[in-house]
Amino acid sequence: MTKGEARRRDVRHRPAAPLFFLAPALIIVFAVLIYPICFSIVVSLFDWPLSAGAGERHFVGFGNYVDLSADPEFWNSVKLQLGFIFIAIPIELLLGFAAALLLNREFFGAKIVRTLLLLPVFFLPILSGMTWRFMLQPRYGPLNALLISLGVPEMTWLGNPLMAYVAVIVQDIWRMWPFMFMLLYAALTNIPAEMLEAAEIDGAGFWRRLRSITVPMLVPTMLTGLLLRIIDALRVFSEVYVMTEGGPGNATLLFSLYTQRQAFSYQKVGMASAMAIFLLILSIVFAVTLVRKNMSLDVLEEKAGG
Amino acid sequence: MMNNQKTRRLALNVLIAITAFVVLLLELYPIGITLLNGFRRDVIILSGKPFELGQLTFRSYQLVLGNRQFLAAMRNSLVIGLASTAISVLAGAMASYGISRFHFRGRNALAYSFLVFRMLPQVSLVISLYIMFRTLGIRDTIFGISLAHASFNVPYVIWMLLPFFAAVDRSYEEAAEVDGCSRFGIFFRVFLPIAAPGLVVSAVFAFINSWNEFLYALILTGVNAKTATIAVNGLLGGDSLTWGQVCAAGTIMLVPVFVFTVAMQRFLIRGISAGGVKG
Repeated sequence: MTKGEARRRDVRHRPAAPLFFLAPALIIVFAVLIYPICFSIVVSLFDWPLSAGAGERHFVGFGNYVDLSADPEFWNSVKLQLGFIFIAIPIELLLGFAAALLLNREFFGAKIVRTLLLLPVFFLPILSGMTWRFMLQPRYGPLNALLISLGVPEMTWLGNPLMAYVAVIVQDIWRMWPFMFMLLYAALTNIPAEMLEAAEIDGAGFWRRLRSITVPMLVPTMLTGLLLRIIDALRVFSEVYVMTEGGPGNATLLFSLYTQRQAFSYQKVGMASAMAIFLLILSIVFAVTLVRKNMSLDVLEEKAGG
Repeated sequence: MMNNQKTRRLALNVLIAITAFVVLLLELYPIGITLLNGFRRDVIILSGKPFELGQLTFRSYQLVLGNRQFLAAMRNSLVIGLASTAISVLAGAMASYGISRFHFRGRNALAYSFLVFRMLPQVSLVISLYIMFRTLGIRDTIFGISLAHASFNVPYVIWMLLPFFAAVDRSYEEAAEVDGCSRFGIFFRVFLPIAAPGLVVSAVFAFINSWNEFLYALILTGVNAKTATIAVNGLLGGDSLTWGQVCAAGTIMLVPVFVFTVAMQRFLIRGISAGGVKG
């Protein structure tokens, strides 16, 4: 049956039928996603203390947004968040790409290496934060134990603002570069071998083949990986929270952590909601970019033979 | 000449193999040390003594498994994971079926919206969920947190299932329709059994999403519905750094995740980036 016939058949069904199937998901999504977002927008227009009664809520219009733009801690968290994204993700991409090139061959144990390399991606984020916190502990932490045994003075890594920030980034690189590897390796194995062989016969060396064939063929996957990682990194919370709680001071207070602190420590729900909406808009921009660039319902269905 | 080239290739391969194993060891070190420390006592870890075989003990596991709060949190995590998975797979499968089998106006827009929903930051939702749940009296209940987990799992399951559903041949449904089966009956009695593998895969990943979740649990639960991720973090609270117990508890949480991950290897890319990557 052709696609056109399938469509005509479907049209014959009562129009209520798809709604029946979609209703449960729509109700849930409305209740715990769309309504909360709308509610957040409303709250962000109020001076809204967390635990006070309704009488102490005051409409302030865009006051919270104006206050945020004058809040140095807000800009600090934006800066830390952007730094996190722009340092961690390119390194993850490079490591993942290098590993994909390196491991795209058969040697003894290659399959085991490729599989086990993925384990950190599935390590629970909070465990990752805790393990890194452990490794960086003074005296008994493995890193300091190593330094001491080498005669180098130890360091309270997570007590130092710069080092704590670096540690949070290294933690993310450690956990997520294998994700880039996984995507790029899958794409690499999809490049037709004849293409590379033909280039080799024509005298193209390794670098030439890399530059003219491999990299151009992998660019779409790289972009996808970058977007997925950016969307993920924008909402990073748990691993940093258990590792440093945003500290020392606010040295690792990434955007989500500051939002959470604003709402539940400072109890300024209106301000926190304004931050939440800011982040939401940013995430939607990246998510829509990813979806438009990458996702086609038709392609997906044709591929599956539906 | 030919021989020379062969030797060079072999040498290169050996070099790469060695590099790969060294990188792998470094990469797995943090996981290894977590697994190992679960079998060492807190005092030994804090003393900074280098590892010896004689240190191995089940003491930390005994403490964790005798810790009622942790056990209750594990049970909560299990119940919440199962509940949110059940809700999400049922609602998600129905929605996915609606999208893949009916051509209605706004079909694409709806499907893409679900995909965008899946990528929204939790911190953007958690504040209003907190206020809503407090007002409704469902904060710190299993029901409330399961529902919150459904907010990311429903869109997730929909996109996990779309390729599976698209691959199911329509002729089965058509045959059932000719036999006079209702659309509803077709879905539950004909379609779902055929699409069962997809349901299992998406259920497993949805469960893991819920099992690993931290921020919603931190804000939306307190004493009663506390989950295992919060309890593990709580083991590190206060002045006592009970690393041995933390690692033992963490290992217990990690085992189901790694087992499922290995079992689902074929679907990993799909699972981790549902909808974000073609095919």
